Order: sequence, then structure tokens, then C-alpha cells
Amino acid sequence: MAPSRGPQPLPRTLHVVLENHKGPVNVARYSKGTSKYILTGGQDRTVKLWNANLGTEIKTFAAHGYEVLSVTISQDNAKFASSGGDRSVFLWDVATGATTRRIPGHMLKIHVVEFNEDASIVASGSYDSTVRLWDLRSQNRQAIQVLEEARDAIQTLHIGPTFIITGSVDGHVRTYDLRMGELRSDFIGHPVTSILPTQDAQTLLVASLDNHIRLIDASNGKMLNDFTGHSNDSYRCRACFGHGEATVICGDEKGQMWAWDLLDASILQPNPPPKIHNKLITWTEHHPTESGEVITASADGTVKVWRHPVLGE
Amino acid sequence: MTSRLKRKLGDIGVDVSSKKANENFCLIGTPLPPLEKSKDTGEFVPLWKQEVYDEKGRRRLHGAFTGGWSAGYFNTVGTKEGWAPSTFVSSRDERAKKQSARPEDFMDEEDLQDLKDSRNIVDTTEEMDFLGGKQSGALGDIDPSGINIDPLTNTLQASLLPAPKDSVGAKILKKMGWRLGQGIGPRMSLKRRKEQDAHAYDPLTGHRLTSGSLNLPEDDEEADKHTYAPRDTVVLVVKRKDNVHGLGYVPGLSLQESLGDANSGGLSGPKLAGGFGLGALNDADDDDLDVYEHSQQTHRRRVAYDQIDGDDNDTVLIGFKTDSRRRDSIAQVSTSHFRNGRSVLAGFAVLDAPVIEDKWFPLPEIPAGWKPDPKRVWSIDQANSQVLHTSTQRPESLTHATFKRSTITADQRGALLGETPLPPGPRSVFDYMSGKDKERIQKIAANLTTAPGMTTSPGTSATVPTPPVRSSTTRLEPHVAQAALKGFQPFTTDPVKQARYTAYLQSQADPSALGPLQPLPNQASDVLSKELEDYAKAASLFKPMSGAMAGRFTSAAVLDMGPKVVEGLHQPSLAELEASEKRKKEEEEKAREKADPKVHAATLGMYGPMTREVTPWVPNRLLCKRFGVKDPDIKLPGEVDPSTSTSSGRENDGQTSDLGLSTTKGDSTAGTTLSAAEISYRSDAPRDITNIGLGEDETQGQDTLTYQRPSMDIFKAIFASDDEDEDEEEADDKDEDNEDVKAEKQLVEGEKQFTNATLILDDKPFDPNNFKPTFTRREGKSKEKGDRNTEKSREKKEKEKKEKKKSKKGVLVSFELEEGGEDLEPRQPKDRPLKKKRRKEEDASQAMVVDDPPLKVAIRKRAVDFMD
Repeated sequence: MAPSRGPQPLPRTLHVVLENHKGPVNVARYSKGTSKYILTGGQDRTVKLWNANLGTEIKTFAAHGYEVLSVTISQDNAKFASSGGDRSVFLWDVATGATTRRIPGHMLKIHVVEFNEDASIVASGSYDSTVRLWDLRSQNRQAIQVLEEARDAIQTLHIGPTFIITGSVDGHVRTYDLRMGELRSDFIGHPVTSILPTQDAQTLLVASLDNHIRLIDASNGKMLNDFTGHSNDSYRCRACFGHGEATVICGDEKGQMWAWDLLDASILQPNPPPKIHNKLITWTEHHPTESGEVITASADGTVKVWRHPVLGE
Repeated sequence: MTSRLKRKLGDIGVDVSSKKANENFCLIGTPLPPLEKSKDTGEFVPLWKQEVYDEKGRRRLHGAFTGGWSAGYFNTVGTKEGWAPSTFVSSRDERAKKQSARPEDFMDEEDLQDLKDSRNIVDTTEEMDFLGGKQSGALGDIDPSGINIDPLTNTLQASLLPAPKDSVGAKILKKMGWRLGQGIGPRMSLKRRKEQDAHAYDPLTGHRLTSGSLNLPEDDEEADKHTYAPRDTVVLVVKRKDNVHGLGYVPGLSLQESLGDANSGGLSGPKLAGGFGLGALNDADDDDLDVYEHSQQTHRRRVAYDQIDGDDNDTVLIGFKTDSRRRDSIAQVSTSHFRNGRSVLAGFAVLDAPVIEDKWFPLPEIPAGWKPDPKRVWSIDQANSQVLHTSTQRPESLTHATFKRSTITADQRGALLGETPLPPGPRSVFDYMSGKDKERIQKIAANLTTAPGMTTSPGTSATVPTPPVRSSTTRLEPHVAQAALKGFQPFTTDPVKQARYTAYLQSQADPSALGPLQPLPNQASDVLSKELEDYAKAASLFKPMSGAMAGRFTSAAVLDMGPKVVEGLHQPSLAELEASEKRKKEEEEKAREKADPKVHAATLGMYGPMTREVTPWVPNRLLCKRFGVKDPDIKLPGEVDPSTSTSSGRENDGQTSDLGLSTTKGDSTAGTTLSAAEISYRSDAPRDITNIGLGEDETQGQDTLTYQRPSMDIFKAIFASDDEDEDEEEADDKDEDNEDVKAEKQLVEGEKQFTNATLILDDKPFDPNNFKPTFTRREGKSKEKGDRNTEKSREKKEKEKKEKKKSKKGVLVSFELEEGGEDLEPRQPKDRPLKKKRRKEEDASQAMVVDDPPLKVAIRKRAVDFMD
């Protein structure tokens, strides 16, 4: 590979296909640490653990009574939390494959669940338009705090070291800053389906259901960049940053995986990108450390791992 | 297994209780229950072993006298508990309640049942016997010939015999004065009654009836002066012929009797004695034969129970009655003969007049093409009835429907019926007034009202319109019109009508000035007159109370303020539609304008301050703890708390770096922020607890807070702990190697150490000048330290200090937390002297330190202001 000029191209060589889910895969997340494993949650009410490299299914976690909409993994990879139509957050022990705790409290299905850094708090954002923060250290059944500012369903959620960002269908991105003790709500105008801050937490990548992905300055709410071209107006398609946060990657509802240059918002080649999934791509996640690995989860029931073509093959 | 079988088996030598004996061979279905469990009721028990129980489970037929009924408790006088003489209980109190004992009280239920059964028979026989007795008595009065029964006797008999069961109708009739034997209807004159008597016929036989007719002497002068009840109409009871006898055959009559030979009839059957216990069901037994009653011997054979007339058996009364009547008639008939001398068959009568054959008329020929039209008939009928109604005023001729349709009022009806008219309603007050008073009131009224001619008499019927006269209805008295003009306006909901109403009233009030109300264009004259009528009515209705009475009443405010109702389907006109559309557009625009500018901005893509809203948000303390973030301590927005430190860790870092004190990193890493935040958080923690006791008003203890809130304790704590830890510090310091310049050591080190500490503790920007006193004190301390150990590295020390303070702070703060924050303050003076005593070497600097807090407070206030 030639020394990089500009952003690295998106890995577009199919490495392995993970296809044991019966029905759409709603979420696919890398494990923490070296991120060798992938956890996927699907409409078939199971969470599956895969080896991303070999493409083998390691384990199936089946306790959900409804679809799994969100999965979050603790920093030590020992446990993870999942949520979905059950209206409860399920805490799992990865090794035993059993739920260690089920946290009821939401009135409706939980769209998103997220751990904080040390997995002492789990936040769950629900269709009932609330975010509930649960303490995992104590056995308290009640939520520590309920964030009820949203006027519509919470679709996405991110927990930073000192802040919580929620994206809601009411078109707001709300940043709850714990240190400042203030809530900054940025109005996007369209249902927000995906939020991902950069590492320095200065900017937010916000995907909304108007075929736009926006890069928002976290400090003043200004729009730094606007990424368009893909089609995303009815489903939650998670957008993410590419390696080194130089690119923005998002799968769209036509099964294409788009990539943009972060700085000039130009669509990276190939434009338009090839269709890689039969149905919409629900989740796109770049490998946290490796440069050339992206996973895409799709409604066609498969999760695909993309890598750069290995030289010499 | 039955007991006998068991015994037998036992005799043979089989172990009955063994499993084999009880082995179950039942493979299919449910086996019968074992015999031990179910009592074999069919098992033979010898007679002497049998026990008898009654239906209540009591044992019967026991004891030595088996075969008899049990009495008492097992034929003893005792009870189950034994026999005990009853204690005396006075029945005096109960005497009033106690009924006289009847035989039934001492009877068993069986006996009572028997009694009941027998009583039923007695009841029926009683009824029968009562009637039968009467019958027999009545029969006794019959003339042996059987033709002429004494009418008086007959009447008496009829009247004395009560109806066996009065029907409701009979009861009503009796209450209305009807007596048995009288006819129904109004009483009548003697003449008419006699007429009735003359025309009376027996419906059964067709013969003239003499019974029941008036029996008055011809020369009775008084008789004409009375009215008489109408003649009783004999009810025609047609007996069903349900036998196979020939016509006229009377069962039980001998041939001779049936042939009319009355005298030949002898006593052929035994005469039965009427009396108690003899019923239809009873056979003519020897006991029932009337041995004594020989005197009343009739020519007929009397049979108590006629086997042929089997259907008569339940109601003997009717049977007898009809029987007797039949016999009467038979007896009557039997005397008539044909002209040729032959007697007429029983049951037949010889006609007096020859039978006239009915004349038959041929049907009228129906014209071809005729169709029945009932409507025409009805209309003719109606016309006829109307004619009838108009022609004949007799109310009897009216059917109910026509009567209802007739417009006769109740009064008219009363007059027709000759009723006395009802007393008139309560009269007016004025009727009770004397003439003078009336005049006076009239004068008052004349003065009060504009219309002097107004009369106060209640009969101002000039305004009350009578329907047929139009001129009077549309015309109003001027004063009434004027009054109505001032009074209640009835047509406020319809302005046009109201205007016309007022115009009408004005025209009526002053007819000379204004002409009569002009009809609206294309308004028919009858519509106009109707309208005027309405106005006149309204005016007379709604004219205000006049004169002296006006002040006595307040009119109930009934205002019809409802929306104007448009009749028919609403069809919006084009203009209306346009107007509404315009309005809608305007509203939309307004709404768009009114809508959040942020929406507007977002649609334009102008993200930034326009789309951002920043509101205070209070994170849960536990949440902050879990995130490792200092509690921001956000309270009500806009509140300025002098002691609240809202500075973030970032700012803190900035300050420290500004001061050249940033020892580790420029940007906020978790470690430094955490420590700083933690410390400040803990130093602030007591504040929250203090606020708890202050109730709702947060400014309640403000002055005391500001006054009593020195950071003394903090300093004190610092110094105290420093003193305590001096030795360790010294030891540590000695180990450290120093690379820093010693020259600026003392001053700079001391100052910066101190400022750093305060910064960490309070998170405040500060004016170094203000800290001079503390600096001096600190300097003194550091000097001492310096004396002992001059080789301290600045940074190292800095770190050390921080750590130390952290640890000490931790101890101190936890202590503070436990004690409840500001509650420490009253305790401060106590503590301070103690610590003072401990810190003997720092006496000099104390005063300055004491002076310090107010300054600090001032700084804090300023700092908060900046922050917010």
C-alpha cells in the first residue's frame, strides 16, 4: 500500500460473513481490548458472539423474549448488556452465558443501552422517551436518575467520561455534562439515529433521518461538516468514524457502505459505492484499533467483516 | 367381602387379611370398592336385628316395647343428659305472650299432617254441606207440584245465598249498592219496572218468568213514589250436552214422571240426611240415610250420587241448582198439551203463535266494475257522524273518539252534565280593597307611569289578544307599548327582528307620529299579521311591571344569548371560504413565526447558538460519584451562592497552569481532575447538608453563612495536619533529592504552595494580594521547615503537598461530612483554641488568619459572578 495521502480507503474486501442470525441483525459491536470478537444482536432474540477473524460463532446468548436492539460491552470484556423489546436491560456474564441481572423499569422497548467507562453505570434509552441510568454496583432496583427531557423516543446514546449524549427522535442531541451540571440540547431538526463523538469529545457525528450525517461542534453546536449522498430516512443506520477519525463511514438503507472524508465531506471512491448487503445496513462499526477492518450488520441477517485485501493472496 | 363370607373363609382356614384373598383381578375398568368399606345394605339381617329409623335419623321401635312408637328419649322421660327435675321458672312474665294451648301444640308432625289432610276434606264438605243444606231448605219450600215457587222464597233464596266467591266485579257492584237479586242499572220508576217484569222471559225455556217480579198490591199508593231496581236478568247457563240421552230425557226420572205423571212419582230411594260429613264423594251409606226427616217427602226420587252425572261430582251446588231448574222447567212444561190433547214432550213448549217463516231477500246485484272502497265509506261515516254531532247535541251519541275530538271544555261538559261549577280561583288583591284604596293606588300609578290612563285593575284585558280579532291583536295600548319599549327585549339574538319589534312598539306608542309597521319586501300579509301578533304578545308579556307593584319584583334574568342558529344545511359562500383560507394562512405564518427560531435555523442548516439550548441540569450525586466527577452543585438557576464553586476542573487546570503550578500536564487528565474535583467536591459537600436545615428559603442563613463562613477551618486543618505530619514530611523531604534553585525557594515555594492549596480547596480565582496574610503565616511555617530542611524540590514538594492534603483532607472531610458540614461552625471557636494551643509557634500569624475569611468570601462572590 502506498504511503497514505489523505484518508485511507475503506476496506472493501469481504473477509468473512457471519450468518447465523435468523432475521435482521440490529447491532454488531467489537469487543473491547484487542477487539477480536464481535457481539451481534438480532431480531431473532439472540445475542451471538463471533470470532471476527475466523467467522465462527462462539456462543449464543438467548434469554431475550423480544428482538435485541442494542448491545454494549464492558471494558474488561467480562460482561455485556443488551436490551430490546423486553423493556428490561439484560446484563450477561460472557463466560457463563447467563443473565446476571435483568433491570426492568422502562415502559416500552429499549432502543439503546450503554455502559460507562468502568461499567458501573448502564444507561438505557427507550421508546418511552426516557434515559434511565442504572447503578450496577449497588443492588438498588431504582434508576439513579431518569433523563426525561426528550420528547420522543431515544434512539441513540453515548456515554463519555464526563458526559452523556442522547439522540432522540424529537430531533435533539442532548449532552448532559456532569461536570458543568448543564444540559446542552442541540436541535438537528430530524430524528437522530446515531451519535458518535470523536475521541477528543470535541465533535459529534450525528446521523439523522434526513439522509444527512452531520459533524457537530460539541462546544458550540455549530455544524462543521455535512455528509450526504446516502439514503437514510426511515431506519436507524449507525454511522462511525474510520480509522484515525479521518473518514466517516455509514451503511445506508440500500445496502451500500458509504465513506466520506471527514474534512472536506467528499465521498470517497468508489462513488457510488457497491451494494454489499441485500437489505439495509443497520450497523457499521470500524475496528477500534486496526486500520483496515470494518463490520457491517444488515437486515438481511448477515454481518460482514471487511478488510483490505491481503497482499500476496 | 361380607361378614358372612369372611366368617366362612375364616372357618375354612383362609387368611382373610392376606393379600391373596384380597387380590384384585380387575384388569379393565374401575374395580368396585372393597366390600369392607361399603356397607352392604342388601345383606340379610334377621328381623330382630333390623333397626328402624325415621326420616330424621331417629331410631324408632326400640326398647323393650319394640313395635311401638318411641316416646321421649328412648321411651323414658329423661333426656340424653339424664333426667333432672326442672327448676321453677316463673311464667308470669310470659303469660301475656303465651297463647292458649291448642291440641296442635302437642301433636307430632305425623299427626299434624294427618290433621291437615283430614281438614281438607272437612273444608270441602263444609262448603258443600252449607250449600246443600240451603238447597235442601229451599227445596222444602217448593210446592209439591213444582210449578209455582213462591217468588218471595225465590228472591229470599237468591238474596240469602251468598255468592260462593264474589268476583271482583261483584264486589264492585256490591259496593256500588247492588244487591243480589237486583238487576244492574239505575233505579227506575214503577211503571218501567213493571214493563220489565212483563217482558221477562226465562232464557232457557223461553217461558215468561214470574219469579223475581215485583210483588206489590195494586192499590199501593206509595209504590208509585219509589224507584225500583231493575229486574234481574237471569243468566243464561247453557249446559253442555255431554251425555248420550235423547232430548228431554231426564236421568233419574221414572218413565211415568217423564211422561208428566207427577202424582205417580213416589219415594223410591232412601232419603239422605243432609248434614255434616255428607259430600258428593260419599256414597249413600246406611249411616247417611235420613231416618228422621220423613215429613218432607217429595215426589221425586232423590239420589245423593248420580252415577250418570259423573261430571257433577265436584261442584254439587251447580249440579243441584241446574238440576232443580231443569226440573222446574220440566215440571212447567209437563203441563202443556197439544191441541189434540197429547202432552208435549218434556223440555218442549208449545208455541202460542204460528211460526213465521223468515223471508229471504236476494242479494243486490253488484254492478260490474265495482270495487270496494272502504275509504269512501269511512268518509261518509265521518260526515254522518259530524252531521250527527252537529245536529244532536246529546252527549250520549258521541263515541269516545269523537268525544275526544270535540272541543268541549271541562266546564262546558260540567254544564251539560249539570254539575255545580268549581269555585273560582283565588281572587286578586284588588278585589279585597275598598274603593278608596283603589282610587289611591290608581293615583299613585298615574303619577309613576307615564301613561296616566293606566288602570291597575287586574282586568286589563285590552292587551290580551283574542285570536279571531286581528285588529285588537296587532294594536297595543300606547302605554303598554311604551312600557314594553323600556322593558325586556326578547329578540336580542335576532337584530333584524329586534329592530322591527322596536319599530312596531314605537309605532304603537305614538301612532300619530309613526305609521304602522310596514311589511318587509315580499312578505305576505298573513305573515305580517302573524309577526305583528307575535310582537303584540311579546310586548304584553315583557312589558315591565307597572306602578307600585314594579318595585316588589325582580325579574329573573333569562337572556337568550346563544349563537344565532342558521337553519338548514350550512353552505359556505365563496367569500367565507376565502376568508377562512386567508385566516388559516395567517395563522400558519404566525405559527411559523412563533415556532422556535431553532427550527427555522435547523431547516436552514444554521446550526450553532440558534439551535443550542443550555439549561442547568443536576446530575445525581451517585451518578457523579460513579463517573468520578465532582458534583457540580447546581441549584436553582440564577441563584448566586457565594460559596458555590462552579468552576470546572478544566478551569482549575488553566489557573494552575497560569500560575505556573501545573506540575503534571496542561490538559486535564483524569488523575488531576479527579483529585482536584474530589477535593473541591468534598469541601463543598457540607454546604448541601447545611442547606437542608434552612428550609425552603435558601437565603435564610445567608448572612450568618457569610459571616461565619471563614475558610478558617480549612486553613486550620491544613496547618493542624501539617503540624501533625511534620515529622513524616520532614523524613520524606530529607529523602528527596533537590534539583531546583534554592534561592527563590522560600518565598516562591511558600506562596505557591499555599495558593495552590487554596486553589485546590476552593477552586477560585484569586488575587494574590489577598492571600498575603496567609502567605506570611505559611512562610513562617515553611521557614521553619526550611530551617530544618532546605533541600526541597519545588515540584516534588508540590506533589507531596497535594497528596498529603488529599489524604488529610480526606480524613478531615469525612469527619466534616459525618458531622454535617456547616454545623461545624458553631463548634469552630471551640476547636480553634485547642488547635491554637497546639500550634504554639504560630501565635503571631493567627490574627491575620482570622482577618482573612471576609476577604475570601468577597473573592468567592466575585468568582461566582464571573462564572455564571
